[in-house]
Amino acid sequence: MRLALASGAATLAVSFTLYPLFATGAWFWYALGAILTVTALGAGASRFSIPDWAVLPAGLVGLTMYTTAAFSRDQAWLWVFPTFDSVAEVAALWALGFDDIQRYAAPVPASQGIIALTTAGVGLIALLVDLFAARMRLAALAGLPLLALFTVPAAVITEPLAWPSFIIAALGYLVLLLADGRERVNRWGRAVLARRQAGGSDSPATQPHVGALKLSGKRIGFAAIALAVLVPTALPTLSPNPLFGFGVGGGLGRGSNTITIPNPIAGLRGQLELPAKATVLSYTSSDAAPRYLRLWSLDTFNGDEFQMTAPTGRPEDRVGAGGRLPPAPGLSPSVAMRTNELGVEVSPDINRLEFLPLPYNTTSVDIEGDWRADRSTLVVFSTTELAAGQSYRVTTVEPEPTARTLDGAAAPPDDIKTRYLQLPDDLPEEIRELAVRETAGARTPFRKAVELQNWFTRRGGFTYSLATGGHGSSALIDFLMHTRTGYCEQFAVSMAVLSRVLGIPARVAIGYTGGTRVGDRWEVSTRDTHAWPELYFEGVGWLAFEPTPAGSAGQGSARVPAYTRIAEPSDDTERPGDTAAERNSEPDEADPSAAPATRGQGPLDREGTSSSTAVEEEFPVIAWVGVGVGAVALLLLVPAFARVVMRFRRLRAMSVPVAAREDVAVPYGRAVEVRSAGREGAVTRVWAELDDMLYDYGMSREPSESPRALARRLSEGNAFGPEAAEAVKRITAAIERLMFARDPGGTAVGAADLKLVRAALAASVGRRRRWRAALLPPSTLRRLGSVGTRLLDVFDRLESLEIRRATARR
Amino acid sequence: MALTHDVPPRLDDLVPTAHRIGQAIESVIEGKGDVIRLTLTVMLAEGHLLIEDVPGVGKTMLAKALARSIDCTVRRVQFTPDLLPSDITGVSAYNQQTRDFEFKPGPVFANIVVGDEINRASPKTQSALLECMEEHQVTVDGVTYPLESPFMVIATQNPIEMEGTYPLPEAQRDRFTARIAMGYPEPTAELEMLDVHGGTSPLDKLQAVATTAEVTALIAAVRAVYVSHPVKRYAIDLVTATRRSPDLRLGASPRSTLQLVRAARAHAALQGRDYVIPDDLQDLAVPVLAHRLLPSIEAQSQRRLPEQVMADLLHRVPVPEARAR
Repeated sequence: MRLALASGAATLAVSFTLYPLFATGAWFWYALGAILTVTALGAGASRFSIPDWAVLPAGLVGLTMYTTAAFSRDQAWLWVFPTFDSVAEVAALWALGFDDIQRYAAPVPASQGIIALTTAGVGLIALLVDLFAARMRLAALAGLPLLALFTVPAAVITEPLAWPSFIIAALGYLVLLLADGRERVNRWGRAVLARRQAGGSDSPATQPHVGALKLSGKRIGFAAIALAVLVPTALPTLSPNPLFGFGVGGGLGRGSNTITIPNPIAGLRGQLELPAKATVLSYTSSDAAPRYLRLWSLDTFNGDEFQMTAPTGRPEDRVGAGGRLPPAPGLSPSVAMRTNELGVEVSPDINRLEFLPLPYNTTSVDIEGDWRADRSTLVVFSTTELAAGQSYRVTTVEPEPTARTLDGAAAPPDDIKTRYLQLPDDLPEEIRELAVRETAGARTPFRKAVELQNWFTRRGGFTYSLATGGHGSSALIDFLMHTRTGYCEQFAVSMAVLSRVLGIPARVAIGYTGGTRVGDRWEVSTRDTHAWPELYFEGVGWLAFEPTPAGSAGQGSARVPAYTRIAEPSDDTERPGDTAAERNSEPDEADPSAAPATRGQGPLDREGTSSSTAVEEEFPVIAWVGVGVGAVALLLLVPAFARVVMRFRRLRAMSVPVAAREDVAVPYGRAVEVRSAGREGAVTRVWAELDDMLYDYGMSREPSESPRALARRLSEGNAFGPEAAEAVKRITAAIERLMFARDPGGTAVGAADLKLVRAALAASVGRRRRWRAALLPPSTLRRLGSVGTRLLDVFDRLESLEIRRATARR
Repeated sequence: MALTHDVPPRLDDLVPTAHRIGQAIESVIEGKGDVIRLTLTVMLAEGHLLIEDVPGVGKTMLAKALARSIDCTVRRVQFTPDLLPSDITGVSAYNQQTRDFEFKPGPVFANIVVGDEINRASPKTQSALLECMEEHQVTVDGVTYPLESPFMVIATQNPIEMEGTYPLPEAQRDRFTARIAMGYPEPTAELEMLDVHGGTSPLDKLQAVATTAEVTALIAAVRAVYVSHPVKRYAIDLVTATRRSPDLRLGASPRSTLQLVRAARAHAALQGRDYVIPDDLQDLAVPVLAHRLLPSIEAQSQRRLPEQVMADLLHRVPVPEARAR
């Protein structure tokens, strides 16, 4: 009976963890009904000694009737007996639920279908738990179905599960184990155990006394849960990636409900080499200018190639129907911006594509369906829709930064740095040297980026050719040092890598160039598939660069962004990009002070920006180990420090002048409430300090030892000199008077007495004990332990409340 | 209890007087300082004493010595199986002259009553004495006669296993404040006893060193000894522990709590202290509580005496703790 109830409670506790999967709580009542049905059946079976084998079929029948009653009452006979129609209705509901689950991402709307599915699932789990725990008496094994239930939210939701929900689930399981343990001991008859002192309710001895056993079991259980919650917080974590796809949330599986991230790099050349040019999309823009349209944003570089971290689409980042995208990272409103509108029509004939081609930076997309934006990269994707045939309106806000703004960009934030500056450790040294050498003349990160772009497009003597291949570091070196022949992939990747070397956060965007103009529309074809680097500048955000040669000798529709055409030295006025070759021959270093962009900013400013570009010094591993060891040592010293602080505070408080004794009437309770003011406070502090001191030196006071007995023990047992013995006597006499006499009297105790006792104690123990008392004082740990005990006591009280109610019910 | 606050404690008088009485007794009974101190404690706590031991260790001698060293009336009753209640309380006899019934007070009308071998009397007689102990009065033929003050019964008894004894029922044992065992004397003390007691009885030479009035004043001073709240709580904890202990079938009664605290007052006063500390209770717990306890079957089978159980409990019950930071 008890086991059946505990099984139900455990299932209920675990089913709480399903909460974040649903948008509303309606499902819960249905699931609760299923659990109650199973629990009632189980409890009834236990009560009336129904054979165990009959319970599973009975439970299934019960669940069926419950499902019928809950979801197809109208079709059923007498509401609960399933008929053909009702079964069909439930089956249809389930099918609908399956569809909904495919369509929606967590939290899913609580459609009737999903609720029906959830109810059936939870009910089955409850039945299994009951079967294992109450029928087969394998309560530990009942953890498996519970775990299965628990893994559903854990696997589906990208964010880590909230720890309270874990605690509730674990407590549920604990209740089950406790009930099982109790049942087991009860079968053995009376357990000979010492009663707990505080346990006032002496029930007649018909029931075995399992209190102590239960108590220790509970404490172990609570301690285990506490550890399970606390320890992981101290461990380094992996970024939480969902294990299985369920709705949107990324994932690299190829299931129908997951997004597919093709290898963009691999697909790039295939697209470019297609014999027949096929139109991918066409668009209009309000300013009639072309736009690069981005599909993917590749952020991780593993030494061979750039890859994309699976995007995460949270429900609140849903776009569509005028929904706004998350704000662009790093873009501050103070930068001049131009707003434009694009109308994009994607050709219905393109391959499976779950990402929307969008210009950067898009602020809103007006589109049908469940499309979501990734917060960090702003790529928009869907798990349920495809881009083919979509037409949508896009609002873009493009920053138009001046070279001066970019020169003055502050250092990027740490999260950007860690994610977008990461490079493999074995990156060849030549590449680093090259990056530094080719940008030697530039002072700010932005200038260096422009230098790099110029180097790729003009100075470096690079040739555009699709007839190259290979990835990896060697291919990178080949491309940069020797062949200098490649297509957009090599250019984009190389520039991103070199930028990262220089300390500029960089990523590679894959998408399409602006295409060609046909009438008032721009048409983008497979030939326009393109890769380009995006570099991060604080205050402006991500800016596209174009290292790939344009024009007929390069990627036809590639365009160098306007902001990279910075003013050259004053004698060389701004000219259109096609004359850039000339400008190249005169790099920036000619006369930095003459550059209009930096004029008037002064050396201070330049200094500031150059410091921000300093490449991060590599911290050697050994130093990290040292830091770790130091941190651990510091952590270990915390108790010792706390002890010293405590002693200092007590001694300092002793100098407080004498105050009148307040009448201390404690209605009930063993402790004497002593105001910590005046001499009484001083005496109790001395006493507390003495108590801690004794504990530290391993001569702790028994709870039944009176002050006088303590003084006797210390002066007789240990090699206390007459002075120290007198000091102990003084202290104990003072506390004795304080606690028990009508008049606390005027026995003076002070820090000197404590010091004497301390010295005597220290002399009477071994060196190891002395060190331990100083470095890892047990009294501090004891205080910590007592806090834990109090916490456990609270749990005990809660639990005993619950049991008392349960017994009252019976 | 306004008394405790109004009467100034006269501990300065108490300690020397008690010391004198103690020394007087010790001149008769060699090497039994603890027993004598406990006897004085019980007297000052207005209690009654049960001395239990094998015959011939000086039980009666102690009682007599105490009685003799205080200038007060002493009556001694030798309990025998044929002793009647009226032999203790007194009888109403018909007076030929006055033609009326006249109350002849029994031996119980004295300051100190020594009941020798109390467990040899029939239960009926025992209970007659015990009523006097509790009520401090005697009722004969519907007339109530108050007893003298101070009033103390010192009863001696032989161990229950001895032949021809009626064990005292729990209810009656409960009326004794403390039970002590004399124990055999040390060899040196016994040698001295041979030397001293060889010729004359030292009891004869014993002079009263205190008056009844002095003892009454001492008792009043003891009443004024301060018992703080935590110490009271501690006493209750101790008594409660005996009621909860699985080793005991019967724990200590609320009456015993009262007597324990009273005795603790006297104990503190004898040490010249005007307040009770837990140590007083600890010292007295075994003599005051142990004889009221009944061991459980388990404890009996392990041959654990209530005294041992009580001593264990003393080690388990925490003393009051000052709560401060």
